[in-house]
Amino acid sequence: MQFTEEQILALAPDEASKKPGKDLANAAKWISKGANDKALWGECQGSGSKPYLTQIDINNIAFKCSCPSRKFPCKHGLGLMLLYCRQKNDFTNNNAPAWVTEWLDKRVEKEEKKITKEEKAVDEAAQIKRQAARGQKVADGMEELRLWLKDIIRNGILSMPERGFAFFDNMAKRMVDAQAPGLANMVRNLGECNFFEEGWQHYFTNQLVSIYLVIEGYRNLQDIDDVLQQDIRSLVGFTQSQEELKEQTGITDTWLVLSKQVTEVDNITTERNWLYGIQSNQYALVLQFIVRGQGSQLTLTLGMFIQAELVFYPSVVPLRAIIKKQINTTAINKFAAYNNWQQVAETETMLCSKLPVKGDRPFIIQQLKPVQYNNQWWLQDVEKQMMPLKNEHKSIWKLLALSGGDALDMVVIGKENKYEPVGVWYKQAYTIL
Amino acid sequence: MEFWNNIINTSMIGTDKKTIAANELPGDLSIAIETITSNTTIDKEEKFLQIAALSFNYRRSGIMPLHKETISLPVAEPEEKTYCNANTLQVLKDILSEESVPLLKFWLEHCSDKQQIVLPEILPVLLAKGAQEKKLQLLVAQCSGKRGEWLGRFNDAWNFSQQQTAEQTWQTGTPEQRKTILREIRTTDPNVARTMLQQTWAEEDANTKLSFLSILPTELGEADIEFLESLATEKSKKVKDEALELLKAIPSSAIVQQYQKILQQSVEIKKEKAMLGLSSKKVLSFVLTENINESIFKSGIDKLSNKKEFTDEEFILYQLIQAVPPSFWENQLGEAPEQIINYFQKDVVGKKMMSALVLAIRRFKDANWAFLVMQYSEIFYLEVLPLLPLQQKEYYSNKFFEQHPDSILQYALENNREWSIEMTRNIFRHLAKNPYQYNRSFYNQQIHLIPVSIVAELEKFTPQEEHLRNMWSNTSDYITKLVTLKIQTIKAFNQ
Repeated sequence: MQFTEEQILALAPDEASKKPGKDLANAAKWISKGANDKALWGECQGSGSKPYLTQIDINNIAFKCSCPSRKFPCKHGLGLMLLYCRQKNDFTNNNAPAWVTEWLDKRVEKEEKKITKEEKAVDEAAQIKRQAARGQKVADGMEELRLWLKDIIRNGILSMPERGFAFFDNMAKRMVDAQAPGLANMVRNLGECNFFEEGWQHYFTNQLVSIYLVIEGYRNLQDIDDVLQQDIRSLVGFTQSQEELKEQTGITDTWLVLSKQVTEVDNITTERNWLYGIQSNQYALVLQFIVRGQGSQLTLTLGMFIQAELVFYPSVVPLRAIIKKQINTTAINKFAAYNNWQQVAETETMLCSKLPVKGDRPFIIQQLKPVQYNNQWWLQDVEKQMMPLKNEHKSIWKLLALSGGDALDMVVIGKENKYEPVGVWYKQAYTIL
Repeated sequence: MEFWNNIINTSMIGTDKKTIAANELPGDLSIAIETITSNTTIDKEEKFLQIAALSFNYRRSGIMPLHKETISLPVAEPEEKTYCNANTLQVLKDILSEESVPLLKFWLEHCSDKQQIVLPEILPVLLAKGAQEKKLQLLVAQCSGKRGEWLGRFNDAWNFSQQQTAEQTWQTGTPEQRKTILREIRTTDPNVARTMLQQTWAEEDANTKLSFLSILPTELGEADIEFLESLATEKSKKVKDEALELLKAIPSSAIVQQYQKILQQSVEIKKEKAMLGLSSKKVLSFVLTENINESIFKSGIDKLSNKKEFTDEEFILYQLIQAVPPSFWENQLGEAPEQIINYFQKDVVGKKMMSALVLAIRRFKDANWAFLVMQYSEIFYLEVLPLLPLQQKEYYSNKFFEQHPDSILQYALENNREWSIEMTRNIFRHLAKNPYQYNRSFYNQQIHLIPVSIVAELEKFTPQEEHLRNMWSNTSDYITKLVTLKIQTIKAFNQ
């Protein structure tokens, strides 16, 4: 197991769970504990009469505990993992008890079942009918959206700040009814524009134009190539069956978890995990949606290396992917980085030419150093070319502390001319900012 | 990007009022724009949206990094001290998450004593803590090394990490930094501290002056008299009063001399007949002299008694006794201190004056008299406890703890030195009975005073009352956690 203490704490479901977890990283709290190459386990004396049985699958990170906590992982799971990280040598017992082996066996069985699960017979005629009905609904909804956009443009966006939440929410709801949830989100983002911020007009117009591009793309769907069709469909909100994706052959590689961005809306936590394939030199975005109170399917820890097979969603600029199979591996410090900003700009141009509405993506860039220019922080490459920092207050101080004015190999996430540094290679190890 | 601003302008005003012209857009797009504008099947809104979409992609595809040959950042100097080890850093992270300032101070003191510094990754958190906790700034700066100093150049809140000379800090530092420097120099070189203060005095405001004067009781002496007397002309009454109070604590100051003169004429030993005239005994006589300089009543001495057990004359004497050094009585009465204490206790008026004598001991920090009062007085005077040598302080604190738990606890907290195990037991017996009053936050703030060995005995202090037990049990766990961090700090720095 290659976790650092910071990485383990990043697995905590919330801030409040970290402290009790740390308290349990104390050998005195554990009646028994053990570890082998598959799992960690321990018996923790809690407030109940019987000790809690805590177990962790360390290859495909998963937790199980007999405590009544609804948090996932619970404090016992975190505590056991932290204790192992601090005092590996104290875990002398490597014969897993029956309750651990049974659980691990069941997990393997479940995985296998998933793979061999037979597909239900599909009523193709009904499916075609359903698809046509949805296609019509989406097209109708889009025409309404087109009129709505044109109204905004006719009257000017200057009056938008006074329109209020309902103006955007009603149209977003209409898009949900039209079975175009992707467009519904884009409309919502339009309404969430910070009208108090200087330059809001730029953000608003960008969003407006992106929606228009998706509408036009969908209208001309028949005239564009198959893969781009998939991009447009996915932007509209047509989902791709993950089971179908898993049947395809993906890219097996050692993937480094570069960054994790977490947002929470209406009790649903969205995790955006950014990965980089060491051999394939491919970047990937693995999304995970977690409903509050339920455990996550996937536990990716920042800075962790995983040997995994990733299947990418069909796209002209493949980025979003799912993990088909995963096993942990040891740290590898090999990567092909961009040499300078010029190369990043060229890549961005190439990607935009393929998909004009593309979003942020990560880049590993060699030897960037933070510099100050015009009261703003920038990242300067070896050619003395610079790009400004996005969300500079978030990462600049740790970046400066690690850099001390020297250049570092760095991971940034962004697009166009704003990039947020999320990690650096510091003393040969990937360090999260 | 002028063309994009033109798009934004049209978007803001609306196509009803403004249409974008071809000359407002890049020449590269002219053919595509011509195709859009000549399309008669779409309206002007749609035409604008298409032109905007085209320009949007043109803009995104043409982003170039900014080339600036001359922009650079100075590189941080190499460190002179060694980095602390991974274990110490882990303990520091745990302490920071526990938010205990005394524990952080404890850790930083160890780090500084070992001439070590923290790893760069933790610097932003540590410097931010330093910005918040001004009293830790010096230690934080010492443990932040050259990298911390370098970081401070880019963040005003962290510029305390700049290694400055005492003179620089005194001239340009924040009020808290200046106080810290003054306090330090006052302890090591009191005259230099006073000279520093005199040099900038005219430029300080009244509140700053007051805060600086509050540092002067440390090593207060005859050399300060001239400066303090010059403050009689200060505009601020508070500053004047504070200066006078300080003068009253210097035995050779004119004001104390004036008080002594009155007492010389008012208090003496007289022989009194005893045993029906068969023998005589020495007693104290307190008769206020008529020869009083009225100016004393402008120096804080009240003319009228505000205590019913004192006459007006006795009350004036009471106030004067408070304001002269106890050693004065040795010369005045020609007796040893223990005998003088005895005279005060035996006399009816003297008994009333005893507490004034105790206050004088406190004011003039006379450790010898403090010890003798503790030994020969019939009453336990808490006030002199802080003046006693450590061993005696512990002895009397333990002896009288049950009678005066809160006051002795207060002194123990002010003492700022780790308690002995015996003292800790007494204190914990009291604290455990009041777990709601002395809760987690109390231990979090006082953990530096608690010896680590007490952790093995916490169960012994469990209160009898059922309703307090659970609370004490939780508190004990928390104390154990804090003490463990203390142990881990010591252990990690000795690895």
